[in-house]
Amino acid sequence: MLSASKRVLAETNRLTIVALGSSSTAGTGASDPDRSYPAVLEAELRRRLPGREIKVTNLGVGGQSAYEMYLRLESEIIPEKPSLVIWQTAVNDAIRDIGEEKLAKILRKGAHKLQEAGIDLVLMDMPWLQREGRYPKYDDYRAVLAKTASDSGVPVFPRYAMMKSWSGSKQFSEEEIVGMDGLQVVEAGYRCFGIRLADGIVSELTGGREPGKPTN
Amino acid sequence: MSGFWRLMLFGKGPREAASPGRDLRIDVIRGLILLVIFVNHMPGNIVSSAMPHNYGFSDAADVFVLLAGISAAFAYGRLIDQRGLLVGSLKVGARIWTLYIAHLALFVLVCGIVATAVVRTQNALYVEAINIQPFFSDTPAAIVNALGLVYQPYYLDILPLYIVLLAAFPLIYVTARTSPLAALAISVAIWQGATLGGLNLPNHPGDGGWFFNPFAWQMLFTFGVVIGRLGLVGAGVPKLRVLDIAAVMVLLFAAAVKLSSGNPFGVALLNDWIDSLQIGTDKTNLAWPRVVHLAAMAWLVLRFLRSDAGILSGLAGRRLAALGRHSLEVFCAGIVLAITGQIILAETSFVLWVQLLMNLSGITILLGLGTFLSWYKTLTARAASAPRDQAATA
Repeated sequence: MLSASKRVLAETNRLTIVALGSSSTAGTGASDPDRSYPAVLEAELRRRLPGREIKVTNLGVGGQSAYEMYLRLESEIIPEKPSLVIWQTAVNDAIRDIGEEKLAKILRKGAHKLQEAGIDLVLMDMPWLQREGRYPKYDDYRAVLAKTASDSGVPVFPRYAMMKSWSGSKQFSEEEIVGMDGLQVVEAGYRCFGIRLADGIVSELTGGREPGKPTN
Repeated sequence: MSGFWRLMLFGKGPREAASPGRDLRIDVIRGLILLVIFVNHMPGNIVSSAMPHNYGFSDAADVFVLLAGISAAFAYGRLIDQRGLLVGSLKVGARIWTLYIAHLALFVLVCGIVATAVVRTQNALYVEAINIQPFFSDTPAAIVNALGLVYQPYYLDILPLYIVLLAAFPLIYVTARTSPLAALAISVAIWQGATLGGLNLPNHPGDGGWFFNPFAWQMLFTFGVVIGRLGLVGAGVPKLRVLDIAAVMVLLFAAAVKLSSGNPFGVALLNDWIDSLQIGTDKTNLAWPRVVHLAAMAWLVLRFLRSDAGILSGLAGRRLAALGRHSLEVFCAGIVLAITGQIILAETSFVLWVQLLMNLSGITILLGLGTFLSWYKTLTARAASAPRDQAATA
């Protein structure tokens, strides 16, 4: 995993990441753009990988579908020359019920396109919802995302499972997890995503020998 | 066919009531499209899976913009011919003002509906579904941007496009009057140039552009203006069997691609292309398969649907025409109904009978609105002429 990022980091001392997604990437619902998950991720990576040149670009646009983002791969994402793309998607496709087969195809083609460009990919799972029954096919779409990712050898960041476990614990209030004014985990959740992603990326890049101490 | 166009040439002005000079095809097709747009704006509902976008590359929006071009040529083009560029442009300006006010009213209504729904149901996905988050997270900026048409939630992006296209209409029309071919060539050049060069108007917040890139979509509008212009001067549609066959082939090809899951032709070389057509076509920059598909449909309608065809003046045709004649009002009402419908569908977990009920009641309300507005129009027209009649007899 993350072989391109490892190689580029070793050769150039650089780690360039693009966060592609809809509103939970853009950071809507947070009080400040600095509190979106990509901003947290950048800060965490810089702290954990001192002396490295780290850049996380936030290309999240609220409400976008997987296909709209797929079209942006060619025009916006690949030209940024990142070594890693974190793609958060599929929720808008699930609630609009675009067709499972179509979603699978879009994700597969997207993964393939990035692979051809020599860019690592991590897919972010869909969010956990308080009342999933509103969208009867929600789980089917999640399954599509999981299956496509495993078929294409792409790791999935388990956002759904994280949110679900928070909902069962008392770590967050419901407001913090789902947020009245945003479907996303607002700030607290963004912060956790940023940290957990940094954990995963750093341990993968350094083979588990993480320099510096984790915060939590 | 040329008889129809001659009729258009000598028909009365852009009056509301159906007169012999009015092309029923425009009204009926536009009425139909308005209903399709309503149904499609409740995604995930079973009826929308039977709508035309499942069988072709272009969809209701493409037809809508093409018709906008044709009817603008009939309404304002004729006015420019008769009363000059200034009077015609002023009339276009007045229409733009109406559209702008309607857009803003719709914006406020939609924000209000979504805000109410989110407060009542705690489901923040309703905000995401139409990208109205910026309005709630940074209201002052969103309002300023909405006034400048540079913040467009979903569903509130087609009226701004129409406003910009109409603003360009006098220029497009004058060019098309001088040379239809030149108008088309310039328009195609702008479309392709914008697509390749990434030219678009901004959509805030973020670095995105308009969902309907006006530099791309002006191509369909100009195409419509040219069709309308040819109609105004009474040009007939040439009988070209080759084009008829080609158009049918395009439609069949599109349906075959969209309806099958894999490659229906079994030619491995085409796999990738078929795949990319199946996942979608770039709507923002108006991908060329959409244009070809729409052109094929337009050609077949012009060739084989006569403006005096019985189907247009039958019961269904008359109801649809009443709808199509009041497209702004019906479009706005359709958006409000569809967004309300979306919320009701999710709250009832997309139970089948609710889906059917939502479609049926929405369509009934829209048809009723069209009929009511037509009746109201004749009523007020009669009332307006009554005092004059009295004065004449006094």
